[in-house]
Amino acid sequence: MHADDGTVAVGEPVAEREFKVGYLTRVEGEGTLEVRVRGREVIEARLKIFEAPRYFERLVVGRSGDEVIDIVARICGICPIAYQMSAVHGFEDLYGVEVDPAVRALRRLLYCGEWIQSHALHVYLLHAPDFLGYPSALAMAADHRAVVEQGLALKRVGNRLIAALGGRPVHPISVRIGGFSRTPRRRELDELRRELDTAVEQSLATVRLVASWDPPALDHPQPLVAMRHPTEYPYNDGRIVSSDGLDLAPGAWGDAFAERQVEDTHALHARTHDGRAYLLGPTARITLAAGQLHPLAADALAATGLQDAIRVNVHRSIVARAVELLHACAEARDLIDAYRPPAEPRVPFTPRPGVAAWSTEAPRGLLHHRYEVDELGHVTKAQIVPPTSQNQGAIEADLAAFAPTVLDLPHAEATHQMEMLIRAYDPCISCATHFLDLRIVGDRGEERTG
Amino acid sequence: MSQLAPPSVRLLVCGNADRGDDGAALSAVATLLPALPASLLERLEVRRCGHLRVEDLLDVREGEVAVVVDAAVGIAPGHVITLPIRSIVGDEASPTPRSSHELPVDQVLGLADALREGGLPEGSFVGIGGRRFGYGRPLSRSVRLNMATFQAAIASELSRLAGVANGPTRSA
Repeated sequence: MHADDGTVAVGEPVAEREFKVGYLTRVEGEGTLEVRVRGREVIEARLKIFEAPRYFERLVVGRSGDEVIDIVARICGICPIAYQMSAVHGFEDLYGVEVDPAVRALRRLLYCGEWIQSHALHVYLLHAPDFLGYPSALAMAADHRAVVEQGLALKRVGNRLIAALGGRPVHPISVRIGGFSRTPRRRELDELRRELDTAVEQSLATVRLVASWDPPALDHPQPLVAMRHPTEYPYNDGRIVSSDGLDLAPGAWGDAFAERQVEDTHALHARTHDGRAYLLGPTARITLAAGQLHPLAADALAATGLQDAIRVNVHRSIVARAVELLHACAEARDLIDAYRPPAEPRVPFTPRPGVAAWSTEAPRGLLHHRYEVDELGHVTKAQIVPPTSQNQGAIEADLAAFAPTVLDLPHAEATHQMEMLIRAYDPCISCATHFLDLRIVGDRGEERTG
Repeated sequence: MSQLAPPSVRLLVCGNADRGDDGAALSAVATLLPALPASLLERLEVRRCGHLRVEDLLDVREGEVAVVVDAAVGIAPGHVITLPIRSIVGDEASPTPRSSHELPVDQVLGLADALREGGLPEGSFVGIGGRRFGYGRPLSRSVRLNMATFQAAIASELSRLAGVANGPTRSA
């Protein structure tokens, strides 16, 4: 039985083998993989994150909501929109702000841009080389130039959407409490609309392509957690649901989950209150919210016949991610078609004290923010729970389940397949490293925490 | 009224102002640009990149040249280097622009070289060795003391390459 701390019970001492990847490649950030096996039993499976912690939760203390939105966008160069969205929705919920429906649609469009660029990056440049047998996208490009070009073309559409709505493609600056600092005119989106026609076709081809690739075998269903909305595929709204029947308001993450510090890693791990790991991201979303996929994406997923396989084998997440890529392209096109600029880009608001808490769906999974706010609207305490720190437990549980199936392979190949499993999660290690409790001991032994 | 010439030098400014010396290029270019002559400015297209991406290099049109400016690791802090972009590909000893996201820079340059018509654009990488890249840190003393040298190297490359560039011959 795989225990909560990533270990398994063992019998008589037998020879141990160790599988190590000292520096994981094709993931965002810096981490290591360590798996120790005794006989055929895994006694330790660890994703160790050594990238330096970044203390964002302390940096936002004393800041107003709009300042927080700009600061948290800097947490990640791949998913800044997700950080902005979880924050802005939390503050708007606390302040009782009702945004214009056109603003709400623009935020979905902005989120589509982030999903498109992030998923295209991972599917084509980070994950595809594993399936096609190359050490990198560069090596793969020599033989599969068209595949790489298609990935870059899709990624560029995502970049352009973010730049058009967010002001710039990296660390966007336009999201404000109550709306946007500026909203685009209809004609500013016309060229993007045309590009999305092509992107929809390319992403449909992507689903077919990645569904044809054979992944390593794994049959390890895990508890799934995602947002779910009655009428929309989950981006920035809905309720937190799970495969175990959980159903929470988007700000109530703490009612079911908690973070804890784990030795040897610079990221907190999140677990259910009864100590179980759970899986977030494309696999969880297309399982728990399949009914809200865009019809084109739903049809494409059905045509693969892989929905059940995706549920139990995280190596198949590339198919789920491709289906979501198609969903994002198709929904972005629909949103532009329906777009009418709002009368005002933002509505006024009045800060009030309380707790601003919300969850949205980053490309890698559910991202929860919680801010305690004083009467001036300044943050006094913050908690940011990114998907990668929540997925660490699931990654290690999958490693423990997967490792015994590759023990008969040559050592290097077995190690490679374990690294490949971690990449299947699309971990953003850089995002996950700002959550340690900071304890500073002064010259006189006094302690400060943050 | 005369028509401005189309930009012929793509200045790609990389880095994150929040991360100590990673913001060196942004800081250098922000104060350098107002001091450049109008005749040079009108030939520049400045892009803020964060981390250098394949798309940034693929977007450089035929006939344009590129100057990539970034903080780097692998050289002494504060030391300024200028290299042809094309010389960095496949050279493991080359200084590495500092970025923890997306693809490593050798992959970015290699992919752009493989996918862009005509290979990597002609141009230069101008880098300054960084000492610290932590969030919320100011520029290190090593970088601050050599900022003028860094700016002079950037200005020199812009002037030199503006004279080399033909200007774009097709739309991106």
